[in-house]
Amino acid sequence: MGNPVANLRRRADEFKTLSPKDKRRRVVDGILNNALYILMLIFVIYTATQREQFVTLSSLANLITQVAAYLPMALGIAGCIVLTGTDLSAGRVQGLTAGVSAAFLQRFDLTRKMFPNLPEASVGWILATLLIALAIGALVGLVNGFFVAKFNLHPFIVTLSTQLITYGIILWFFALGGNNGQPITGLSDTYRDAVGGAMFSVDNTPIPRYVLYAILLTALMWFIWNKTTFGKNMFAVGSNAEAAKVSGVNVFLTTMLVHTLAGVLYGYSGFVEAVRSGSAAAATGLNAECDAIAACVIGGVSFVGGTGKISGIILGVVILRIIFIALTMLGVSSSSLYIIKGAIILCACALDMRKYMVKK
Amino acid sequence: MDQQDLTPQQEPSPQEENVPKFRGLYRHVKISVKALDIIIVSCIAVIIITVAINLLNPGYTVTFNSLGGTDVAAVECQYGDLLTDVEPPTREGYTFGGWFRDAGCINPWNLETDTVSESLTLYALWIPQEPQ
Repeated sequence: MGNPVANLRRRADEFKTLSPKDKRRRVVDGILNNALYILMLIFVIYTATQREQFVTLSSLANLITQVAAYLPMALGIAGCIVLTGTDLSAGRVQGLTAGVSAAFLQRFDLTRKMFPNLPEASVGWILATLLIALAIGALVGLVNGFFVAKFNLHPFIVTLSTQLITYGIILWFFALGGNNGQPITGLSDTYRDAVGGAMFSVDNTPIPRYVLYAILLTALMWFIWNKTTFGKNMFAVGSNAEAAKVSGVNVFLTTMLVHTLAGVLYGYSGFVEAVRSGSAAAATGLNAECDAIAACVIGGVSFVGGTGKISGIILGVVILRIIFIALTMLGVSSSSLYIIKGAIILCACALDMRKYMVKK
Repeated sequence: MDQQDLTPQQEPSPQEENVPKFRGLYRHVKISVKALDIIIVSCIAVIIITVAINLLNPGYTVTFNSLGGTDVAAVECQYGDLLTDVEPPTREGYTFGGWFRDAGCINPWNLETDTVSESLTLYALWIPQEPQ
């Protein structure tokens, strides 16, 4: 790697020695390879000139809060992408665990509680609910991992079916206790405070506790990816499963664990999401996996497999959140955002392949 | 330091040299750099056109469902606008109890503090009046 300034200087010198034709090709390559970044920079600058509230400390605090909420799911899905797979069940798992967390942690004195016999939301009960949410996520991840690892089924198929099954369970769960499919509201104050309570405020915008949790979680994931045997095995399997098997890596166990860990992270994100939106509905988490997958691909977690960095995922989530905050402020409708998201994913994949081909 | 790139550098066999081989999810993909460039430029064009269409029709529409009361006209707003200028609807035998984000009247819309950040529909809450 070396010194980035020296690196840049060396590349500039190298550029000067090229013929005019090569120079033009190099410039076009540079523009195309960074097309998404350049486009987002243009949007950001345009928004900054049009909406003064975009370049404020409060806007920055809002960005940090959103990144903290969206990062855990991206960290989970990234592992599946490193294994050349993906996970389409993530959003629904988030929805289910958000629903379970909300239902288990309603205010004690609420008249229309979903489960009237549950204890008051003490710290112990909140931790127990968190563990239940993580366990539900882990279970779905385990099922995904088992079918992918055991039968070599494509993760798109396996996770599509678990996505639908999980949605069925969500609808069934929301009909329990006379709830009749209504959103689950009236979360207990202890739960709200433990997850979304303000640690401090930046320009009157509170920074909730889950920002701290997201930082800790990211540090943990960095450690798992880079410093453990499991992390190294994950990259080896993603890079070349046969070669990894020959060199003694337990491919079955690694694949199972990657999917289970991803499920645990979705479970956590559901536990946070209920507090973040103040309630949980059957539609909570719908299409959330698309944002996470897009963030990973933008951040350089390649579908080629075996490549990706935690720092890249953070960058991907940050870039995606900035662009969505900017576009929302400009008045771009949520229906148009879906078209833009789709184009971003396709573009990011094309860029991913282009970089791979040009490198070869 | 956390760079993880275990790409095995396999030598391509002579007949495969011109066909780029992908691994992983792209392993069946056969595509040239030129075609990829066209896809990238097209995607960027789609994004720019979508944003441009939205910028030409700026703002969000807030519609009001008075649920049996007098009609309230929809308003066009910008991001961050308050809905303070909306006339409250009336209904025979009921008192207007405020606007809600959902038809079940669970999530209230606070006219003083809630700001518009998307197109939405608000629903009226009606409280039956006590018979005189």
